[in-house]
Amino acid sequence: MVNGSKILPMSGIKVLDLTWHLAGPYGTRLLADYGAEVIKIERPTEGDPAREMEPFFQDQKGLEKSIIYQYLNTNKRSVTLNLKSKEGKRIFLELARKVDVVIENFSPDVMPRLGLNYDVLAAENPGLIMTSISNFGSTGPYRNWQASELTTYAMGGAMINTGHPENPPLYIGGHIPSFHVGTVAAAATAISILGAEKSGKGDHIDLGAFQIWMGAIDRRQSYLMSHQYTGDISTRPWPASALGTGIWQCIDGYFMTAVGVGLFPRMANMIGASDLLNDDKWSTAAARSDPERLDESIALIVPWMLERTKAEARDAAQEHGVYGGPINNFEDLLNDPHFQHRQFFEEVSHPQLGAITYPSAPFKLHLENSKGTEKVAAPLLGEHTDIVLTDLLGTSTPELEKLRKDGVV
Amino acid sequence: MASNNSQVLPLEGLRILDLTVVWAGPYATQIFGDWGAEIIRVESIKHFPATTRGMVMRPTKEMVSQKGSLSAYPDRDPGKRPWNRTASFNAHARNKKSMTVDMTKPEGQKVFDDLLRISDAVIENNVPVSMDRIGVNWERVSKINPKIVMLRMPGFGLDGPYEDYRTFGSHMAGVVGHYSVMGYEGESPDMTGNTLTADAAGGAGAALALAAGIRYRNHNDKGIFIEIATAENFANYLGDKILDYTVNDRLASPVGNRDVSNAPQGVYRCKGEDRWIGISVNSDAQWDALCKVIGRDDLSRDPKYSTASKRYSLHDTIDQLIESWSGGMDAQIAMKDLQSAGIPAGVVMNEEDAFSDPHLDEVGFWETLEGAETGKNIYTSTLWKTALTDRSHKRAAPLLGEDNEYVYKELLGFDEDKYAEFESAGHIGMDYEI
Repeated sequence: MVNGSKILPMSGIKVLDLTWHLAGPYGTRLLADYGAEVIKIERPTEGDPAREMEPFFQDQKGLEKSIIYQYLNTNKRSVTLNLKSKEGKRIFLELARKVDVVIENFSPDVMPRLGLNYDVLAAENPGLIMTSISNFGSTGPYRNWQASELTTYAMGGAMINTGHPENPPLYIGGHIPSFHVGTVAAAATAISILGAEKSGKGDHIDLGAFQIWMGAIDRRQSYLMSHQYTGDISTRPWPASALGTGIWQCIDGYFMTAVGVGLFPRMANMIGASDLLNDDKWSTAAARSDPERLDESIALIVPWMLERTKAEARDAAQEHGVYGGPINNFEDLLNDPHFQHRQFFEEVSHPQLGAITYPSAPFKLHLENSKGTEKVAAPLLGEHTDIVLTDLLGTSTPELEKLRKDGVV
Repeated sequence: MASNNSQVLPLEGLRILDLTVVWAGPYATQIFGDWGAEIIRVESIKHFPATTRGMVMRPTKEMVSQKGSLSAYPDRDPGKRPWNRTASFNAHARNKKSMTVDMTKPEGQKVFDDLLRISDAVIENNVPVSMDRIGVNWERVSKINPKIVMLRMPGFGLDGPYEDYRTFGSHMAGVVGHYSVMGYEGESPDMTGNTLTADAAGGAGAALALAAGIRYRNHNDKGIFIEIATAENFANYLGDKILDYTVNDRLASPVGNRDVSNAPQGVYRCKGEDRWIGISVNSDAQWDALCKVIGRDDLSRDPKYSTASKRYSLHDTIDQLIESWSGGMDAQIAMKDLQSAGIPAGVVMNEEDAFSDPHLDEVGFWETLEGAETGKNIYTSTLWKTALTDRSHKRAAPLLGEDNEYVYKELLGFDEDKYAEFESAGHIGMDYEI
């Protein structure tokens, strides 16, 4: 068992994982992190396209060298299977009988075209949860539209509110749009597993990245409600347009704060301007709402920040209860004493790449005498084909040899 | 296909005590409430949770008159009880209940204990020191109910130098490196502004953690304590870039709206005020198609632009060519034209785009609910649909203390006298007494 013999929250759950690229694999990695046995189905010889995605280990291309593949596929088993072949399809359906969950993130028309839609799988295994992840979900006028992470965030996310008012709206960065969709897919799957374990009946989960981002609490939800309350159309706010709130230059970088009119007294104390609070112009939240206070506050905060390092600003903010934090790069993060204290970074040994430092799984299980989760390196392409087919389906060695010769596995 | 819609909701029958504030925690219980769990918000009329039920308790009309507010009040009027009318709270608290109790008093602590005994899980996302003050921790909770699931969502964790650090999602994101991947190329981070994506991430991660915890309890017949530090959860959203640093010693820096290798990609101005379209060209075929749509068929034959890397080196020029087309286009029409040609393109949607979007409408993304102090409004539906569950939101966000009678009388068996006693002792009420 991938996670040893400990009983983890998802232990005993078998996931047949057809996902590729980014969003789906992030979701199944989370399920694997917490104990599910994830059987990753990959194309023979090529595997998941993420294996060919940059960046690579020491910038050398190779199916076992993609950093992003390594990141997204820890604790999984890799089985190669050609789903386009008749024999591959038969094996897939047999596997679907033995598992609790099938997850895929193809375009909505792919599984039906392969003859592997939910109704077919449910006929084989009525208790099965099938999770389908796509850009727009499997119904509706956009279901076959094209999308990138940027266009997903543009349409669904709060991009109209991200960036500077005089610049174009700004992308959220990295692969955040995909990873968030993966998280929601994992949550949806775990929630449906609870239902299925109670009722004995499976279900088909239909997720669309557009909808997931449109329903995100990162500003979108609030602005959608605010718009109905006032008719306002939201845009990108000016920097430092709320009292005591902004991104300020320090000696060695930038420091962010947020207090607003209510908590501004904490900020006044921090920057040594507590006298202000005795002044009628500053003493109440209503008085502090006057736009002139904003300019006056900026004139006080800017020089205070310019004389301090990020660490000094952080300590002062912490002392005075000012919400805020430094803007770090990944070197800062790796060296940060807090994250070191938490042992947030862990080394994972890979047979070809050696030891790689990863961030730990997103949440900690406080189990007796155990950290709960531990990572095993991402699988080599097809590493577990033989053992999975032998264990789950009783496939014999000669049968495996034939399947391999025929290009099925 | 969906012939059998009679299936009960997957979380029906679970009772969750909800001590969450602001956004990250409430997002987790929003998801749980949407899928059938009973969510009981444990609040207090002796403590105003700033930013959760408004920035200040009783803002003046003038204070809420600002245009484009993230959490506005209906008709820009805070009303008699502003804490029931703020947009952020109303958006996430659908399907939740609200009770009040003053946990700084011994009899309030006993009420909390009695609720723990009849609940499946308790969840909170406060600064740890605030929970210490009212004695909310695993040691106590598990002693009262050994089968309970406890999920705590501290910003930075329950130990370490930043344990009690006060922080919002944007700050946690900054600390774990978000500004290394988000920003305009070559410009300083103060131009980037704030996002609260770490809260959305934390809420979704917490929903997974909570479901995982419930499953652990179901199979082991004992409770579990789970800790999700919002910062650590969000660092996982940057994990590929963290590995590029730990493996290749390469520090990421922002590339604005561009891709790292494909070209062109960007956000382009359209006709009208603050109207934009995002476009990504991921193949040479899509480049040819784009050239046709923007009326520059000649460019697709020009060898200068024939590969992604050539296009990347001429990105500025290409951006101008695209914008000279998009600038005269209605954003919605541009999106449809590009999509018809098979090019990933999407309007940078504002609220009007969202509410008039035919796709969201057809997939049932909106639900209308009536709130006692907010009127009829449209709420986002669930984040996903399932084939066999036929569900809809049960109710709008609760007024502060709206469910006190249900919780005290029905769940805890209080009689009229005891209920009145708790009213006069400052536990039960619908107005802050501060």
